[in-house]
Amino acid sequence: MAQMWITMGPQHPMTHGLWTLRVKVDGETVIDTEAELGYIHRGVEKICEARDFTQVTPYCDRLCYVSAMTWSNSYIYAAEDLLEADVPERAEYIRLISAELQRLASHLMWLGAFGPDIGNLTLMTWCMRDREMFLDLLQELGGSRMHYNYPRIGGVKRDIPVGFADRMIAKVKLFEKRIEEYEMMLDESTIWLVRLQGVGYCNAEEMVEAGVSGPNVRAAGVNYDVRWAHPYSVYDEVDWEPAVEKPTSVKGADCYDRYRVRIEEMRQSCRMVLDAIEKIPGGKNTNYASGDEMIYTKAPTRAPEGATGFSNYECTRGASQFYIEGGGEGRGKKPYRLSIRSPMFITIPFVAKTMIGYKVADIPAIMGSFDPCIGETDR
Amino acid sequence: MAITLEQNAIAVTECADAINDKFSGTGISADIVQHSNAKKYSFVRVVSPPQHWQALAKWLKFDLGVNYCSMITGTHYPEGPDERGWGLAYHLLRQPISNQIPDTNTVYVAEKMVGSQIPVEFEVLINLPNNDTPSVPTVQHVWVGADWNEKETWDLVGIQFEGHENMFRVLNPLDSPDGFHPLQKQHKIRYHDYNEMYDDAQGFVRKPADEGRVK
Repeated sequence: MAQMWITMGPQHPMTHGLWTLRVKVDGETVIDTEAELGYIHRGVEKICEARDFTQVTPYCDRLCYVSAMTWSNSYIYAAEDLLEADVPERAEYIRLISAELQRLASHLMWLGAFGPDIGNLTLMTWCMRDREMFLDLLQELGGSRMHYNYPRIGGVKRDIPVGFADRMIAKVKLFEKRIEEYEMMLDESTIWLVRLQGVGYCNAEEMVEAGVSGPNVRAAGVNYDVRWAHPYSVYDEVDWEPAVEKPTSVKGADCYDRYRVRIEEMRQSCRMVLDAIEKIPGGKNTNYASGDEMIYTKAPTRAPEGATGFSNYECTRGASQFYIEGGGEGRGKKPYRLSIRSPMFITIPFVAKTMIGYKVADIPAIMGSFDPCIGETDR
Repeated sequence: MAITLEQNAIAVTECADAINDKFSGTGISADIVQHSNAKKYSFVRVVSPPQHWQALAKWLKFDLGVNYCSMITGTHYPEGPDERGWGLAYHLLRQPISNQIPDTNTVYVAEKMVGSQIPVEFEVLINLPNNDTPSVPTVQHVWVGADWNEKETWDLVGIQFEGHENMFRVLNPLDSPDGFHPLQKQHKIRYHDYNEMYDDAQGFVRKPADEGRVK
């Protein structure tokens, strides 16, 4: 057969964003691929060098538009390392709850976008319906549906509102039942199984070598998770266990395993927030004023030259990391250098190479199963 | 469930001692540093001269089991001393991840992990002399994950990775001029150190005159 290069993207339903996948095909079979990124590179790292530490948070929200809360939390932990801030325990609990609610919303967005790729349009509407519940909860905290600017260096912007706990418990318990509905719909759907099982194999060591992290690696059978390996927040005090799959082949995890691990992760997030809201110090129906010592500790605003801060954070798509060097403009008021490690930036070139050997029609299934997000990839 | 501070301390000490034993007298040194955020766990900070970096990387990967290159940060210090005009920080992780037999999985219980199973974080710092052509040996062939990280560092900061195959721009436009690396410090993002949005939010101050200034 004649071989040729096909360009998929930058506008293509498979991309889930804005990037180009160049595919070399021999008939229907993929024989080579190249990923081309950078379409929405905004230079966040450079912009942050001219902002002080508080002003950086909203930029980090905008790194990933479906998972804003985890990204700003990730930055906050690096800034706290740099500025040596203490965080009250109640604030850590609130951060855990907000991050896990965001994880639920983000995984629902992923599932909702992945369904139409596979040919299941119903899924889109169902996921959007359920995601709305969690966006409403996050809106109660941050005041916005998408970019919350909620965590602060040394705590959180404001306390959970009165009645938030009851609303959250009701919604999360409802959602736990909805997860079963999703499973009933998907795990017995022929089209879902035919298109996901046996497609897009990659094994654990290969993925770690290439820098892939998070749920994609847990799908391959090891329960490694930053939340217990490099603990932050209060994950050691709440009741949960990392989601992990049993891959069915020596070739590792397929697209179906990656779908299963995210469903399980949503279940664990539900379990975590239900437990955390009961254990929260200070009571779940108390509302402390903004700036109260229960939710906020004043942190230094300047970092000396030579000081560094680093955070390793389990974002919804893998490990997001921030590295900050202090001693920038304004006698250390601004970072000298802020570097962002995006999990998808490393994953996308790897996924492009795993497609080799599969059919062109498998590309949306393989790409979608890794949950790409281009906002964080291009930064 | 989480790794305790005791487990972390044991693993970090073992790794730092192993590096100091192996590379004594080469200029490579390892310290234990404690984070001051979150759970305040420690990590290993290694300082290495650029010429020994490949040897160190191979040893870390194949003997110490550091299997994950997560992040490479390049920094430009135009006003630094002669021996430090550019800095590189590599963030590496040791993760207990291995291939699985079909239909089985590995479920670690954090508190029961011992020895080389315990995840450890490494930070390798490399200083490069203050000149216009910073370069460091590549570790692309040691960790596949370093490949795109190095591409990004060259693209944004302009540090050359000697021996890196297939280098191209990944974030900047492909037709960017040669030698344009936006994270170098001579590129300013504030127009004449003046920014309407932040320095004059109310619009009261007259804008500074532009004569004699290069845009």
